[in-house]
This record gives sequence, C-alpha cells and structure tokens, in this order.
Amino acid sequence: MALLETDRVWKKFGGVTAVQDIALSIEKGEILGMIGPNGSGKTSFINLLSGIYRPDKGNIRFIGEDITGLPAYLITKKGIARTFQNLRVFPNISVLDNLLIGRHCRVNNSLANVYLNPFLSRKREKEAEDYVIELLDWVHLADRRKELAKNLPYGEQRLLEICRALASEPQLLLLDEPCAGMNPVEMDTLAAFLKNLRERGTTLFIIEHNMRFIMSIAERIVVLDAGAKFREGSPVQIQNDKEVQRIYLGEEEEE
Amino acid sequence: MTLRIKKNRLLLYAGLLACIIVLPFVVRDPYFIGMVNFIIIYSILCLGLNLILGYTGLLSLGHAAFYGIGAYATAILMTKHGFSFLPSLIVSGLLALFFGFLLGLPTRKVRGDYFCLLTIAFGEIFRLVTQAWISFTGGAMGIVGIPIPEVLGWKIQTEIDFYFLGLSLLGFTYGTLHLLTESKFGRAFVAIREDELAASVMGINTPMYKILTFSIGSLYAGIAGSYLAVYQTTVTPSNFRLEESCLMIIMVIVGGMGNLAATFLGVSVMAVAIEFFRPVPEYRLLIIGLIMILVLLFRPQGLLGAAAFKD
Repeated sequence: MALLETDRVWKKFGGVTAVQDIALSIEKGEILGMIGPNGSGKTSFINLLSGIYRPDKGNIRFIGEDITGLPAYLITKKGIARTFQNLRVFPNISVLDNLLIGRHCRVNNSLANVYLNPFLSRKREKEAEDYVIELLDWVHLADRRKELAKNLPYGEQRLLEICRALASEPQLLLLDEPCAGMNPVEMDTLAAFLKNLRERGTTLFIIEHNMRFIMSIAERIVVLDAGAKFREGSPVQIQNDKEVQRIYLGEEEEE
Repeated sequence: MTLRIKKNRLLLYAGLLACIIVLPFVVRDPYFIGMVNFIIIYSILCLGLNLILGYTGLLSLGHAAFYGIGAYATAILMTKHGFSFLPSLIVSGLLALFFGFLLGLPTRKVRGDYFCLLTIAFGEIFRLVTQAWISFTGGAMGIVGIPIPEVLGWKIQTEIDFYFLGLSLLGFTYGTLHLLTESKFGRAFVAIREDELAASVMGINTPMYKILTFSIGSLYAGIAGSYLAVYQTTVTPSNFRLEESCLMIIMVIVGGMGNLAATFLGVSVMAVAIEFFRPVPEYRLLIIGLIMILVLLFRPQGLLGAAAFKD
C-alpha cells in the first residue's frame, strides 16, 4: 500500500485551474521529486496535501485513510509535515521554542493538566524539550538553541525549518523548494542530510527548481505542467525526455 | 553553580515577597496604598490582556467591557441577590469568560483590523447598555452601596485589607497565567502571533486557540472588575470607557508584549505618570501619548519585552 495516494485531485481559483486531475502515489521510504515550470501548480499541490487548501474534486488518502479536506492541524497530527518555499520560521522566538512549537501536537498535555497537575505538565514539557534538543544536537544547532531564529544565517534557518517539521515525527515530509537561495555548499549539505533522513525512515516529497539537486537526490520524479501531471519516471528517463526538455529543461539552458 | 544561582533567586523571591507583605505596615499612608491598589487592579487586567495582545497578537480594544461585566455582575449579585463576595467573584469571572468566548468566536472569520473594530463596538455596546438599562444597571448613576465583602470571616474594609485581597487575586492571576504560558498552550499562542499559517501546519488548532486565549484573558478582567466593585462600593459606566481599554493596551505595550513580569513595570510606570500629572488633567492624555510614542520609537518591544512587533 502506498503511503499517500491522491486520486484525481482538482483545485480551481476562480477561472484558473491550479491543479487538475492529479493522481499520484508516494511509496513508503522513497524520495519523490516534483518539478515543473513556474505556475504549474506545484505549491498548490503541496497546499492540498498539507490541508491548507481543500480540493474541489478528488480524494487524498494517507496510510489507507481518507484525509481529504481535513484542516491542516489534523493532517500534521496524522503524520504529514511540511516546510514552505519562502522560509517561515517564527523569527522573534528562540530556536528551541521554534522546535517545541513544531513538537506541539505530540505533547500530550491538556488544559486540566496544566492547571491541576502542574508537575505532570512540567514533566511532559521536559520530555518534549529533551526530544527537540536531541534533534538539534543531530543537526549541530544545539548550542544555538537560545538564539532568536531570525539571527541565524539563512542556510541554518532553512535547516531549522526542516527540523521544526521533523519535531512532529512525520512519516511523510513535504519540502517546498528546500534549497531556494542556498549556495552549492549548503545544497550538498542539505542533500546529505535529506538522504540521512530517508535512511531513518522518513518518506520525502520534494518540490525543487534546481535540477542538479533534485536529479541527485530523488528516485522518482513527477513533472507538472499547467496544473496537470505531464510525466513520471526515474531521473534518467526525465532528463532524456524530449518533451520535458521542451517545456522545462530547455528553458533552463537559455537562462 | 546552577544550584547557587537557583538559591540566590529563591532568596530574591523570598525577599521580594517579604517586602510586599510588610509594605502597607511600613508606609501607612492610605493615599499611597490606594495607588498601589490601583496598580494591582490594572496589573490583573493587563496580565489578561497581555495573553490576548502580547502572546497571541489579537488587538482587543474591548477589554474594559469584560472588566465592566465582572464589576456589574458582582455589584448586582451582592446588592440585589444577597450573594456574598466569593461566589460573586467566581460568577463574575465565569461570566467574563463566557462573553470572551462569544466575542472570540468571530476570530475564526474576521481578521486583524476588522476584529479590532468588532471589539471597539462590543465595548461601546456594553457601555451604552449599562447607561440605558436603568432598571438593571442603574443607568449613568450606576450601582451604589455594594456591601463590605467578607472572605472566610475576614471583613475587608480598610485600604490595607483590600491590598491583601488584591494581592491574592493578583497572585492567582500571575500563577495561573505563568502555568499556561510556560506550557505548550503558551507557545501555541506565540506561534499564532508570529505566523498563523505556519502555526496551523505545526498541528495547532488556530481557531480554537484564538477563542481560548480570548476567553481566558477575559476571565481575569472579570476578576479585576469584581474586585473593583467591592473596593469602590459603586460601579458606574464611566469606569469602563474606551479610554480605559486604550490605557490598558498602552500599559501592556510599555511594559512589554509577551512577557508577564514586564506587565507590572508597564502598569507601574503609567500609574505613576498618571498620578504625577493629576494636577494638570488637561495634559494627562498628552503625556500618556507621549510616553507611548517614546517607548515605540526607542524600545518597540517594550521596556522589558521579548517580542517585537511583526515586521
């Protein structure tokens, strides 16, 4: 069974069809890439998967369960986390608090606990803190945990946003252009990090404009054009596809 | 090392507590104690408002209305229905909570500036209703002759008695808010302030949390109102004007949004400024405005605040 399946999903905004009739499946443990020209509906598609948009037609299933139209916070709780194309860390709070907020839905604390059983509540908060500090240790950000997120260099803010998503222990991580604005060195670090993540059992779905990056990391690539699925195949197949080159890669070469 | 710091801190807190307790016996001036009581009332109000405004980032200009709901509830229950103080206090708090919940409901659809307008409208409607519904609220004359409160046999009469009553209510307010803001709930509020869309993707039920923050913040205004009713022994609509709501917002901003302890500083600074310029009432608002502008220019995060405005 696929981890996530979309069945002929549509999304329209007024007269514009952002996503049309996309059927795809993400297998457990894979890295699936998605490419497509600007405005082809990639971000809209991720917004549909993460519950920010509700599809007009079609179904989305996650581990066999229908999650179509659920609000974003429930989808996160079910095990799908995401990052944003235009970096959205919480700027004015510490790195640690950013991650603790990411951990929110896994902290099993009720209002009643907070008021009537503060020691239990404290203990649960401490557990969450231990968890995210371990996560920060792993990405070598632990000693910067007290700094405000906005004071981190850009590359580390990107990393922080991914970690914040990871704090909710997702089974599926959706990344919207994770290396936008990164230099080649940061990109290589990120690629190694994401591969490591996959080794640990997280499934990844990555939208990316940078061909070198996506071709090196994804095992399977879906090409979108004008909101619809245009091709699907291995990186080699996609790279050699004349039609894909015409709509997308050709554009790249001219730049 | 850390143990020593902890020990020092504990000593500091103990010293502070001792000072607070002996204060009214050292400075026996009723005028001074009266002013401290004013600071206590506004601290309770502004702590609640800080949760709404400072933590969650919802601009509410209707906080005085919840203050009024608490005050009128206590006044009516104690004068007309023979309630004693404690049950009135609880009912007042719960009633403010309930109205906070109702006014919080539109946050699901109405955003930012428009929600702020809604809170102004709510505050004005409340004030007009209290003025017009003479049989229930006494109209512009308000309700007079609220009896002396008694808590477990302790008759609260003098300024010093009220000082300790206020202090325990303030302790309750600060303690419960501290528990809340140090938990995942407090962080969720901050996340909503920082970036609501990102917060929802973090698994935070943002509509529910906004209603929650509004309800809880209003609860404390109800408690402060209940205290005001027994302290003043009268309540009139002029206690709960838009001007009061604005003053509370200024106090929160001057102290520091998103920082509970900073609220005390903001309230004290403004209260002292207001007292200081009492002989020249025509310049009072000017001075308040000036302080606010200076703070916003030079310390936009407030005197002790952690969180700056969204940029």
